[in-house]
Order: sequence, then structure tokens, then C-alpha cells
Amino acid sequence: MATGRDMILNKLRVARQPYPDIEPLQEYLPVVPSIDISAEGLVNRFVEQAKKLGGIVHRVASEVEAINEIFDLLRDDNCVLSWSFEHISLPSLSATFEVRNIKVADPRDPAIRVGITGADGALAATGSLVLVAGEGKYRATSLLPPVHIAVLRSSQILPDLESWVALQRERGLDDFREISTVVLISGPSRTADIAMQMIMGMHGPAELHIVLIEG
Amino acid sequence: MIDDQRESPVGKRVSLFVTCMVDMLYPETGWAVVDILEYLGVQVDFPMRQTCCGQPGYNAGHRPEARRVAIQFLRAFKDAEVIVVPSGSCGTMIRHEYPSLFADNSRWRSEAERIGSITWEFTELIVDGLGIKDLQLRLPYPHSFAFHDACHGLRVLGLSLEGRTLLGNVENVSIETLAEADVCCGFGGLFSVKMADVSGAMLDRKIKNINSCPAQIILCGDVSCMTHMNGGLSRQNSAKRVRHIAEVLAEGLPKESNQ
Amino acid sequence: MNVTSNDFIPMAQIALMDDEMRVSVNQATTTAYNKRLNVMFEAGIEHGEALRQQAAHAKRRALSQLPELLEQAEANFKANGAEVLWAVTGDEVNQLVMDIVRRHEVRSVVKSKSMVSEEIGLNHILEANGIEVVETDLGEYIVQLDHDTPSHIVTPVIHKSKAEIRDLFIRELDMPPTDDTSEMAQFARRVLREKFLHADMGITGGNFIIAETGTVCIVTNEGNGRMVTSLPRVHVAIVGIEKIVETFEDYATLTQVLPRSATGQTITVYTHMYNGPRKTSESDGPEYMYVIFVDNGRSDIYASKYAEALTCIRCGACMNACPVYRTTGGHAYGWVYPGPIGAVITPLLNGLGNAKPLPHASSLCGSCKQVCPVDIDLPRMLLDLRSDLYQEGKTEAHWILGLKLWAIGNQSPLLFEIGGRLARYITGDHPPKNLPGPLSGWSKYRDFPRFAKKSFRQQWRERRGK
Repeated sequence: MATGRDMILNKLRVARQPYPDIEPLQEYLPVVPSIDISAEGLVNRFVEQAKKLGGIVHRVASEVEAINEIFDLLRDDNCVLSWSFEHISLPSLSATFEVRNIKVADPRDPAIRVGITGADGALAATGSLVLVAGEGKYRATSLLPPVHIAVLRSSQILPDLESWVALQRERGLDDFREISTVVLISGPSRTADIAMQMIMGMHGPAELHIVLIEG
Repeated sequence: MIDDQRESPVGKRVSLFVTCMVDMLYPETGWAVVDILEYLGVQVDFPMRQTCCGQPGYNAGHRPEARRVAIQFLRAFKDAEVIVVPSGSCGTMIRHEYPSLFADNSRWRSEAERIGSITWEFTELIVDGLGIKDLQLRLPYPHSFAFHDACHGLRVLGLSLEGRTLLGNVENVSIETLAEADVCCGFGGLFSVKMADVSGAMLDRKIKNINSCPAQIILCGDVSCMTHMNGGLSRQNSAKRVRHIAEVLAEGLPKESNQ
Repeated sequence: MNVTSNDFIPMAQIALMDDEMRVSVNQATTTAYNKRLNVMFEAGIEHGEALRQQAAHAKRRALSQLPELLEQAEANFKANGAEVLWAVTGDEVNQLVMDIVRRHEVRSVVKSKSMVSEEIGLNHILEANGIEVVETDLGEYIVQLDHDTPSHIVTPVIHKSKAEIRDLFIRELDMPPTDDTSEMAQFARRVLREKFLHADMGITGGNFIIAETGTVCIVTNEGNGRMVTSLPRVHVAIVGIEKIVETFEDYATLTQVLPRSATGQTITVYTHMYNGPRKTSESDGPEYMYVIFVDNGRSDIYASKYAEALTCIRCGACMNACPVYRTTGGHAYGWVYPGPIGAVITPLLNGLGNAKPLPHASSLCGSCKQVCPVDIDLPRMLLDLRSDLYQEGKTEAHWILGLKLWAIGNQSPLLFEIGGRLARYITGDHPPKNLPGPLSGWSKYRDFPRFAKKSFRQQWRERRGK
């Protein structure tokens, strides 16, 4: 007995092929053309776009400054959600948490105000962070808390999505397929469903802070 | 205009396809086209066996009927070197829909393609075909105008600069902007009667925009849309009117040129 | 969802009387239209047009390879640990979902947007089986609370004013009265958060499926897509077979062109890619992931001259640009997909006999084609559908007769001239007050000009003698 799969595939195969002469594209025009891809250019573009989308970028020159920014944002909180420290680009963060008695809660605790993650990359063209799921890189950290702090090194900033895709292809798509999920985060969550009025902070975080370590 | 490599109409005899509506309702528009072209030194003739391009039937989906009418068009214009039509929608029918209409018909397909390739909308013929941007005209007294961009002319034939260029070079003319000039007036052929209420609502919006436009006269390149808009304007007792651009340009001709 | 598209004309008449809705819809669509214009062409007109062609190319290429790409995607999903199921009809999708529900003892479901699921009435089936289903996209949630239907495929409740939504929340959710949009959204957020945290299963649609990697791709702004695919144990993605694209690069183009075209955003807040369920080393994410490939009439379209309609990326730009949609709103179209794309695929997916007015619900202005990011020739398809209606005998007798008479009158120059003179004679110096028969709709809103004393050809004959 023919399965649904057989029926669908047969029907498609028997049909006259639409666009029979169309070849795969050889060259792709980037959606955002002419980005300044110098190190400074990428940082500037990323910061400009991230801010446009409602994110707050904290530009710092050192780890120490970065950690200070984070603790300013924590205010009186003594509990946060956090990726495993080895995935956040701040080697002394773990020790500082201990010293200041900040606890890292269960990754799925919905009552915590702040979530701290690293990033697996960033896209200058669109002001986006790339977050890959994996061991110790919990999804909920950048999703449940109303405040998301992402630690990013300027060297991680790529020109655009096209470059990130090219990188995946270079590494071999098998590596990409090994990942369960990737999300590009471009700003705090938002909605305009009520009478087309834009408001920030819907289901995802209402505040996105990017601690950008330059140099 | 769209970049489509047609043969130049310069120096050729131009056959006027006046369109069924101009023939029966607005003959003065037809004469305006003739007068302007003859003023430019163009030889104009009028194939007497013309009727309609077939668009109403085609747009309604009645292709066999539309085909019969279109064949009459092809017959009437069989000796034409260049065809001029004061209508973007009829121009679209002839140039863009005749290939579909005659796709399966080997007898008429190549003739339809030939006819399509020699057909020009009125402003397109002057500006893009003959390369004339300034008709050296002068209106008898100052007037302000605004343009409504009829849909087929705008989006299929790529017309919007042509009329504005010609009018802009006429003395005693000022051009205003009509809000939402490129938004459909709601005519759409039989849509205006099949979906009369929606058409009427779209017309209402266009009339609001016309009434709040500072221009005294709205110009359009399609008498079908014009009829629909004027029909609404008069029904709503508006002082404004829509006119075909050929007529307004013709008013700027030196007195001897008018018939 | 039931098709009521044959009632387009009366439903449009009702819509035309709803001034508040018309204002809301007009504002939403013109805003989105202008935003799209700015963003799509921010690097220049040439670049914007080239992007449209690139997007069109990607979707058309995928269509040409569709069966192979579906198999490739399936193999890749399986290798990633996701299960792939195929459904020919809407009923089969619902059955498959219920199988999954039973297998995993699911009691509650949270959903992010899936237009396919609206086509097949999935929510009703789940609810009928005692499963709680909650829409989590704010607009869809409002639709669900109000027992309404979406009127736009991207922004589902543009037909509702803020006051209406406020009253709905007060009535259904006991929200303390407020006119502050942010407060209203926060209230809904708190309600829905509870649902996210306790749901057993998350259902999503899919904007794209990348064949070469086996990836379901979604775009959202609210974060609900991430919620439904991170918190519950099971993730089910229900995706039309036409959503497949061939390469990762195709996806990179399309996932950026889609928001530009839809809302004028350069990218949505969340751009998600799902290859499979959580890895054993992960501690959040679904343990099980299912991808359901849905046909539901798409393979029939594929085999027809309307295959191009399957390249649609569901951006909504066509309905934002459509003067008819702007005038009536989406409900008049009578099904899941309104506006120009709806006028084409509603008859194609449900049978022409169930949507006879829709191909005629257009003035053929061409705005839809002008804005479509994948350059679908919607006006051509509307014209072809009108021809199909005629060929299949689904056209009213008075039009058949009327246009036959029109053809007779226009095939012969003599009859043409006689007809014209007759009309002039009958109406005299006066414009016809009421046009006859099926043309009477004209006179409801418009006067008609008088016939010229002498037709152009009469005058030409007299002046030029030929």
C-alpha cells in the first residue's frame, strides 16, 4: 500500500517539471552590500545596528571593565541564569561570581531576572548575535529572563549572515548538522500586533545588553 | 517605458487606434492625438475597420470571444507600420496579452507579435519613440495639473515620466502632486460592475485625494479610468475633473494646428 | 478552516460598512508598504530588484528539484535525530499529530504561527480530543481568544483596534482596564508564560526548510517560537512541502528578504534554525522532534500551470500593496490566505467552485507583482483563473451572453458603428441614467458620460474622406 510519502513523491515526479532549465546560482549578492570589513568597520556597523534594534552595547577594552559592566547590570540580584563559564569569553567571571556570592540558578528557573551568555559569533550587517545550543549553552538563559546579557569579543564579529554561512560550509556542513539549534538574536523581543504599535519586550527578553570586549 | 528594443518609429506612418471608448464617448481626445502628431510632422492614418482590442472580454476570462475581437484588430491594422493608442490598458492588451491570447494559434501568433512590437502608447511614442520631450507648447492661460498614474500604463508599460515630461515643458503649466497617485482608482474593467461596492469604495478614496489636491485638473492616460473617476466626481458634485493628457496638450497648440 | 470564499461579495459589503476596521487595516497596510519600500531599496533600486530576482531564483530552483530536495531533507533530518512524516491531506496531518500526542502523553500544546495548521483546522481536532492548545503569537492569541480568524498572514489582527483588544482582554482574561499598549502586552505575556512553562508539546510552522542540512527555519519577533521549541518535551514542525530550499546560501538570502518584504525589518529579532532534538549533552530543548511534510493540494498546484504560486514565501507584501485588500480587509476573502496570493491559492487548494469570486476580486492593478519578493506573476494567474472559470462553466449566464454579444458587436466594424449610433440615438443628449442589467452596479456610484453626437470615425470620414 502506497504511503503518503510515496504518493507525494510520485505525484511530484510524474508532473511536468517547473523551471526545468534553472541552474543553481553560482554567485550570491549579499543582502547588505558594501560593508566596511575592516576590524573597526565591523565593530562600528555592529554597534550601530544593534543599537538601532533596541539593544544596549557596552563597549569595554578589558575583561575587568566587562565584569564591572555586568555587575552594574546585576544591581542587587544575587542569582542569575548563566551559560557554563567555559562558554563565556571571560575567564575570571566564575571566580568573581564566587567572590561576590552570585549564584547560578538551575538553567530553567523562570523566576530569575538576568541571563548571561557568551556568543558564538555576531553579524555586523544586521547587528545580530549568533547563539549555538550545546552542552552548557542553555537555550533558556537567553530566553526566559527579562534581561539578557551577552558577552562578545570584537574578533567574533563577521560581516553578515552570508559570511557566517560560508564559514559553516568551510568547516563542513556535517559540523553544522551536529548542532541541535542555532538562533540569531537581533535586539530585544518585540511585537506590533496591537494596533501596529511597537512595544519592546514580549515573550523573549525585554532588554538585551551586549558587553563588547574590544582589542 | 520599459527597455524592450523596439524598432524606432521615426519617419514612419502612424496608424491611430483610437479605442472604442474614445470613438464613442470622447472623439475630441482622438483629434487631440491626431493634431499633436501632425503638428510634429507625423503622417497619421485611421484604419476604418478598427473596433476594440478585446480587453474587456479577455480580462473577464472569456478568451474565445476576446480572441475573435482581437483578430478583427489584427485584420484592421494589417498594413500598419506603427500604431499609436491613447490608452495604457489597451496598449498593455496589445503588447503583453496578445501573445497569451494567440499562444496556441499559429495562424495569428506571428501577426500578433508583429503588431505588439509596433504599438506605442501616445506619450510613449512622442517621448521614447520620437525622442521629443518639449512640444514647444503654451497654454492660453495658467493652469495647475496633477497626474493620476493609470495602473497598466504605469506598471506594465513603465510609463510615468513621459506624460510629466511633456506637460512639464508646456508654458503656463504648474504640476502638483496627487496623493496616492499610483494607487488604483478602482476601475479594473468589469470589476467596476462585478465588484461594484469595492470599486465604489476604492473610487471614494481616489476622489478624496483628488478633492484635496491643489491642482484644478487631474491628468490621466486612460479614458476608461477617467470615465470611472469623472463619473464619481460628478456624482459627488465635485468641481474637479480628470482629463486625458492629449486633450490638454492639444490646447497648447498654435491656433492653426487645431482642427 | 472552512472556505466561505463564494460569499466574497456580501462579506465585502459587510466589511465596507465597518469604518473602524477599514481605518485600522488601511493604516497597517500603508505603513508596512512604505516600510518595505524603504528597506528593500536602501542600497539602491538596482540592488533591491536584484535581491528580488535572487530570491525568486532560489525558490524556483527549489521547485524544479522538489522531489529530490524533499528526500534529501528527510535523510538529513533523520541523521540529526528528527523524525520525518509525510501527509497527503489535512486529515492525515491531524491524525499524525494526534498519534504523536498519544505517544508522548501530551495534555497541553503551545503553538507558534503556522498557517498550514489553520488550513487543516488542527486546533479544533486537538481541542476535540481534550488537548489544550494555546496560540502564542500575540496576534494569533488574540484571534484564538476572540474565536475569530486571522485577517492577514503576518499581522493577524490588523482588523482590530486597540480598544477592541483591550475589551477582549478585560472580558476573557480579567485584565485590569488599561489603554497602555505595553501594559496590555505584558499582561498577555504573563498569561502565556505559564502556558509555555507547563506545555508538553510545541508546534511550529516553518518558513523555510534547508534541504542540504535538514533544517527547519523560523522567523519571529516575539520570542514565542523559541519558547515553544525550547521548553516542551516534544517539538512538531508542520511545514508545506513548498517551503524547501536547496542550499544554505539560498536560505541566507531568503531569511533576510522575507522580513524586509513583510514588515520592513532588516532581520527579525529571532532567526531560528532547528536541525533536530536536543543532544544528550544538552539540558534544555525538546527530546523529540518531528517534521511533518504537508501536501494538502500543493502537489496538484505543482503539476499545473500555476506552479509558480508555490514559490510564495508568505511575506504578505502583496496584501499590503493591494488596493482591494486595503479596502475590504482580509476576512472577506473567506479563508486562511487573503489578498492577491489568497485569491490565487484559495481556489487552487480548495477547488475553483469553492472560490468563484476571488479571481475577480481584483482590478488587476499589478501592485502585487510589483512588490512580490519572488516576482510571482499574480495578475497573470488571476487572468488564467478567470479563463478557467469560464472554461469550466462557472461563469454566470448573463456575463456569458453579454460578452458573446459584445464579441459579435466588436468583430464587425459595421455592427460596431451601428451599435454606437444606436446607443447615441437612444440616450440622446442625456447621459444614460442607469446602465442596463449586470452593468447596473456602475450607476450605483457613478454617472456615465453622454455618447458623442458624432463618433470619431464619423468625424474622420467627414473631414478626411476615408
